[in-house]
Amino acid sequence: MIDEKELAIHPIVPDSVQHNARIVSNIRALTASLFGVAAGTLGLESLPGFIFYFFGTAIVSFFIYSLKADSKAESYFFSPMGDLWAGDMFGGLMSFVLTWTLFYGLCKA
Amino acid sequence: MSGIVEQQIHRDPALFYWILLPITVVMILTGILRHYLSTLLTSTPKKQTVAKLREQRSLMHAQQLRGNFHPISKAAFEKRKEAFIEGVKDSKFLADPGAKGQKPNPLQDPAMMDGMMGMMKGQVAMMVPQSLIMGWINAFFSGYVIMKLPFPLTPQFKQMLQAGVGTRDLDVRWVSSLSWYFLTLFGLQPVYNFILGSNNAASQMAQQMQMGQMGAGAVNPMAGAEDMDKVFNAEAENLEVVEHWYVLNGVEDRLLAKVGKF
Repeated sequence: MIDEKELAIHPIVPDSVQHNARIVSNIRALTASLFGVAAGTLGLESLPGFIFYFFGTAIVSFFIYSLKADSKAESYFFSPMGDLWAGDMFGGLMSFVLTWTLFYGLCKA
Repeated sequence: MSGIVEQQIHRDPALFYWILLPITVVMILTGILRHYLSTLLTSTPKKQTVAKLREQRSLMHAQQLRGNFHPISKAAFEKRKEAFIEGVKDSKFLADPGAKGQKPNPLQDPAMMDGMMGMMKGQVAMMVPQSLIMGWINAFFSGYVIMKLPFPLTPQFKQMLQAGVGTRDLDVRWVSSLSWYFLTLFGLQPVYNFILGSNNAASQMAQQMQMGQMGAGAVNPMAGAEDMDKVFNAEAENLEVVEHWYVLNGVEDRLLAKVGKF
């Protein structure tokens, strides 16, 4: 863990952290809805649908890492592992399910 | 037998235009309405007397000093600390030095009542549309299935999601309009984010989470109901035990270590 002295010398600005988190969550919400549209149109059911979602979010994570964060995740996120890769994995799940159900209902059933 | 053959129900495509679309539109509009309603209902904080304000600010000053002691030198910190402790001893900061030691009644304080009214308003703005829409959906759109979920659910959900359908063997994946309501309730947050900007008050879910955090003690409306003298004494004690260090100690070495590489 980072000790107090280190934090005072290199302070973490809460505004910037919030800004980054908001950008990431916006990207995730939008892409999750689009993945839902895709999954519903393809007619994926149950497990393949969720696997599609997680696969998609992993790709989006990679794009955020390489395009938005210039491959330097540690200078944009407090803890890159938690904030960028693992965290927010489930943030877009509800919107994914929403659009998935809608487009599945429209196209298949 | 019925487990192997997939149940198929042919539905009128008009169901989409007359049920799914209206519910979605109504949910989005209610979210927007709730956002503007809560913006309108937020009461501006009342002006406080000078003494009360001084009490709050000096307490906040002490807390800030305790949290951010490292950018000032040891002598400056000691000076500020002494000044605060001195002031607490003479009860210089108290809004009402005569009322020392009495526990004020929160219900008599008009400011407290104001805070509670604000919370009540928030609750009402949250609960009323929710129950109204559920009632509306139950009254107009219950009794038939409208869509099929793309994922299986356990039979426990049958009671809730197929309310009023009354077919025992029907797969749980066929659901009535109420489940679409729930899906939109949980999934529309990003839509509100795009329409209203990111710190909106549209989603009930986000608001309920906020309520939970407030209950945990972040913004307690009863916080003013304590004996201020005790609070100040506790803060002075906290300040007393702070172990001070200065952030500029050894800055030359750090600078040289950073620049010396070149």
